[in-house]
Amino acid sequence: MNPETLRYSEQHEYAGVEGNTATCGITDYAQGSLGDITFVELPDVGKELKKGEEACAIESAKAASSVYAPVSGKIVAVNEALEDDPAPVNDDPYGDGWIFKIEMADASEAEQLMDAAAYDAIEKE
Amino acid sequence: MSVLNVKHLGPAAYGPVLARQTELVGRVLERPEEAYLLLVEHDPPVITLGRRGGEADVLASRERLAELGVEVHESSRGGEVTYHGPGQLVGYPILHLDRHGRTVRGHVKNIEQVLIDTLDEFGIPAHRKDPAEELTGVWTGSQPHSGEAKIAAIGVAVRRWVSYHGWALNVNTDLSHFDLIVPCGIRDKGVTSMARQLGGEQDIAAVADTLVRRFAAMYRFESVADE
Repeated sequence: MNPETLRYSEQHEYAGVEGNTATCGITDYAQGSLGDITFVELPDVGKELKKGEEACAIESAKAASSVYAPVSGKIVAVNEALEDDPAPVNDDPYGDGWIFKIEMADASEAEQLMDAAAYDAIEKE
Repeated sequence: MSVLNVKHLGPAAYGPVLARQTELVGRVLERPEEAYLLLVEHDPPVITLGRRGGEADVLASRERLAELGVEVHESSRGGEVTYHGPGQLVGYPILHLDRHGRTVRGHVKNIEQVLIDTLDEFGIPAHRKDPAEELTGVWTGSQPHSGEAKIAAIGVAVRRWVSYHGWALNVNTDLSHFDLIVPCGIRDKGVTSMARQLGGEQDIAAVADTLVRRFAAMYRFESVADE
């Protein structure tokens, strides 16, 4: 996915919106902060989440960091390949490093997230 | 003015201290300028299972643990299985990473360095391992027997960029309790304590004072408020 067209949360998650589905992961800034990721604890498919609720956790060098749902809805897919090899979250966060897909309960929530320019600005703070 | 609020909890059970941490995480989320360091010796002793901790790494049966008075808790920290008990100085820094350390990776590294600096003051040479080995924690050569052993374990958690959980430094820990588990999922490396390295019991309050001073310096706190 092209980072320019994604939407961003303040917690450094991104959402790539296609129709009613948001493909979510953590940003390049977030993966850099975490360092080498050793483990991704994926959410359960079918889980209903509200925007901002903890979806799953990512572990890097003995630090477990929570990942939040950037939009409300139901988890409809998870990137199972990360269970065997979490490296894409570091190497390709906007591509093979996606973590879960949410079927959005309210598509307007995605529009309330930051665009790339706004996210760049907070990252540089 | 950045102040590190240090709370010396003394001997305390795991559950209530976890509740205290959770409460302080909430506080720091609302007031990112606040920072806390809880220091505690867990009593009764406790085995905690981190996010990747499996029951298979708890070697003793539940009955045996109950006999020994050892609790078992799941924990949202990183890492696998570890042990906490009297004589071990556990530190839980609760701070906003946007203000302190910036990155999760940097925070873990800073904690390692604080422990290495503290041990150095007590005459124990300690080091971290190559990150590629995935053996986070603080290690030292283990006299009198050869080889290196882990003297401090690290496991942190991050919620909305507020970090909690922390480290466990073996000062006068009863090391036989580590035989109840596979510490951090590592089967082929031992554990040690300051008492073992130095050949006698250490003053845990003196170790705590040094840790606080080193921690405050590493994270550039201008002052320390003790409670």
